[in-house]
Amino acid sequence: MSTPVQVQDLQEAEVVFRVKRYSKEKGDYWQEYKLKVDRFTQVTEALRRIKVKQDPSLAYRASCHMAVCGSCGMKINGEPRLACKTLVLDVVKKFGTNVITLEPMDRFPIVKDLVVDMTEFYDRMERVKPRLYPSKEVLEYKAEHRLKPEDQRLLWKFAQCIWCGLCVSACPAVKEDPLFLGPAAHAKGFRFLRDPRDTITEERVKVLADSAWRCTYCYMCYHVCPRDIEPVTAIKKTRALLKSVKPMGPAQEVGHKHSEAVYESIYTYGKINEGVVYVKTYGLIRSLVDMTYAFRAGKAKYALEKVEPVKEVEQVRELMRGE
Amino acid sequence: MLIFETRENSRGPALDKATYDAVVVGAGLAGLMSAYYIAKEGFKVAVISKVFPTRSHSAAAEGGIAAYIEGNSDPNDSPDYMAYDTIKGGDYLVDQDAAELLAYKSGEIVDLLERWGALFNRQPDGRIAVRYFGGQTYPRTRFVGDKTGMALLHTVYERASGTDNVDFYYEWFTWDLVVDSDRRVRGVVAFDMRNMTPTFFEARAVVMASGGMGMLYKHSTNSYINTGDGYAMALRAGAALKDPEFVQFHPTALYPSDILISEAARGEGAVLRNNKGERFMARYAPKKLDLAPRDIVSRSIMIEIKEGRGFPGGYVGLDLTHLGEEYIKERLALAYEAALNFAGVDAMKEMIPVRPAQHYFMGGIDVDIKGRNPDLIGLFAAGEAACVSVHGANRLGSNSLLETLVFGRETGIAVAEYLKTASWPSSDVAKDVERSVDQAYSVVKSESGRHFGEILEELRSTMWDYVGIFRNDGGLRNALSKIDQLRGEINKMYVTDKSKVYNTEFFNALELKNMLDLALVIAHAALNRTESRGAHYREDYPQRNDQEWMKHTLTYLRGKTVEISYKPVKVTRWKPEERVY
Repeated sequence: MSTPVQVQDLQEAEVVFRVKRYSKEKGDYWQEYKLKVDRFTQVTEALRRIKVKQDPSLAYRASCHMAVCGSCGMKINGEPRLACKTLVLDVVKKFGTNVITLEPMDRFPIVKDLVVDMTEFYDRMERVKPRLYPSKEVLEYKAEHRLKPEDQRLLWKFAQCIWCGLCVSACPAVKEDPLFLGPAAHAKGFRFLRDPRDTITEERVKVLADSAWRCTYCYMCYHVCPRDIEPVTAIKKTRALLKSVKPMGPAQEVGHKHSEAVYESIYTYGKINEGVVYVKTYGLIRSLVDMTYAFRAGKAKYALEKVEPVKEVEQVRELMRGE
Repeated sequence: MLIFETRENSRGPALDKATYDAVVVGAGLAGLMSAYYIAKEGFKVAVISKVFPTRSHSAAAEGGIAAYIEGNSDPNDSPDYMAYDTIKGGDYLVDQDAAELLAYKSGEIVDLLERWGALFNRQPDGRIAVRYFGGQTYPRTRFVGDKTGMALLHTVYERASGTDNVDFYYEWFTWDLVVDSDRRVRGVVAFDMRNMTPTFFEARAVVMASGGMGMLYKHSTNSYINTGDGYAMALRAGAALKDPEFVQFHPTALYPSDILISEAARGEGAVLRNNKGERFMARYAPKKLDLAPRDIVSRSIMIEIKEGRGFPGGYVGLDLTHLGEEYIKERLALAYEAALNFAGVDAMKEMIPVRPAQHYFMGGIDVDIKGRNPDLIGLFAAGEAACVSVHGANRLGSNSLLETLVFGRETGIAVAEYLKTASWPSSDVAKDVERSVDQAYSVVKSESGRHFGEILEELRSTMWDYVGIFRNDGGLRNALSKIDQLRGEINKMYVTDKSKVYNTEFFNALELKNMLDLALVIAHAALNRTESRGAHYREDYPQRNDQEWMKHTLTYLRGKTVEISYKPVKVTRWKPEERVY
């Protein structure tokens, strides 16, 4: 079915789009469309031509075609991408085939063809109270906001989220943990948490602090974000900013113990002592229970390994003390 | 909060009804701003949009928002200079009271957005930064990186969505205005796109904030959603469109995706070249060269292409290669990235392919500076959907974001005022609602005929070829007969998709009906105005003619014909003079 493609200086090609379609009436099925494209053709333009010239029933979302509205998130050859920010021939070159599959984003319920239900995504965004709560004085024009240029730059990085949902579709933690807000909501949450003009910090801390520790740092959001806003960086910064706020939620408490255990281990040994860090993070009882799994998997030896401090441990300690 | 009543009608199936004080159609900056100010006075508002609010076309605005800010502007500048720049830029078809209001409220509206959390770029002392834009005597443009529209849209959405009295209906398609026999607006008919169910949104006031109409043209920088629905709804309901012959074409849209390459590129030294490598603007504007006004540059590019000096496919080159890597990265990052991401062109090594494309509609639903339409009681409009006559015959850059916010707010305040005294009429409009729903459904009832796509492509080519950058009597008459023919054909339009779930084909077909109604009116008005002014260029009447034509066109759609009347331009302080830059 697929033809090998000579990739050098590809100017034009006939491409086959394999689209995963779905409708309530017909269920799931694959449909193919053949289309001639040139090196400028965006996937959104290809979809538009298919809809206008071949199959008007194909359903997808697209609006601005310049990566600022966030409508056209989908899976292109398995990768979560904005269709507008993807040139058809780039995909052909990258995968070495002129067959391109288009599928709806993962994790969201499918409404029809490439259109998914974003309701839950919008609910997540709403949970972080995505708006500035300025002081009464400012709203009554008794005071004026000033914002340092460096603060503006930092906040703007995270405020550029276009709510496309790609990061959430790619996030394994969101899939497993209903208490995790997800990458986009954390980027938005941090943008207001860190805004010096905001007044509801206490409320924001309650929403963000525990959830921030539910991210697994897998960096999928970092890789798929079409605006390069790095949601995982927002999560790291949230953890750092709120590292000692109390009372701690369950994930935050474990996370806090873990980071202290790691610090201590490095101070003591100059490196991570896996067994000790595990016990200090999860406590003795949980560790013993988990050890039984490690035994069964034949991995107990790693946890029980005797760890000696590294030769240069004194230098490490000096660095950690800031000397 | 919302009361849904389900009622049996004569055809049997249920028709839902929702009751609000006001309905706002469109959730871009103008719509959200209006909704916020109506709700602030305690009235219940439904905001209905084809897309989720942050997907609106306001997000696409790049460069910035013009504002004279007291104490944070050039010491020689004043709101009067700003009004004058706007009036001159609009080739004296601007209502000068509107331009003054725009200029005098510009500072406070930027200040308000800042208070709501907008992350404007800053000066070292923490105050809002400023830069130059085309047509400004002094620098007035405030900006958030190179995504000002997106930043402001999110800020205003965040604000409006945190308000108790506003309900959002996103991915709902508004199809018709409902007007009673007293010419009073009674609400709108809208379809839930997820299941194609119609609802009558009953309201005492309707704000059309449905944005522009770029999809009428084969080449446009606009979003796919800009199909001019609000203009067509207003026309069908009996309201006038003002100055619809004025359509702005931006000279440098990226080929072939028509993504805007900002004027800033040429401001920073980029040069337009034809297929011979010539800097052709030297022939058309020997002094201003590549920085001549938008309409002149657009016309020059089209002549080059027409006479065979363009590149295959129909474009010219925007040359940055002489500027050097460091300069491009520092000063022209957005243009560079757009070319790379959307055209696969490395602008450091090769020219960016560009051609003119439709960009903005100066015409719109006839309203005064409070957003009130004089034809229908209870009809308001704001933003690109409206024609307050603040842009006249040609809009200046960074004035569109400003207009959406200033006049969105003015309109919201005026609606709230209106609602304080307006009563609920008692006459029954159920029949009108049913007729409207039936008309919409008629497109899915045909068993054979033409697909929307075929008709759409013919319309977009017709508008581009004959109602575009160059116009003349013969071409406009061609366009009118073609549009007439296509309007006949849509009665036999065939929708293949019979599904009720997210049937985009059905909604595309309804959009096409709207586009054809609007196209007819634009072409008529363009044929009628026998002069050249701003963006309206007639090859057979190349001069501006103030004696006969310094007046607004008012157009009404009466079935197959367009009725035209006129309205004087409001002149307060500035007499027309020759437009030389």
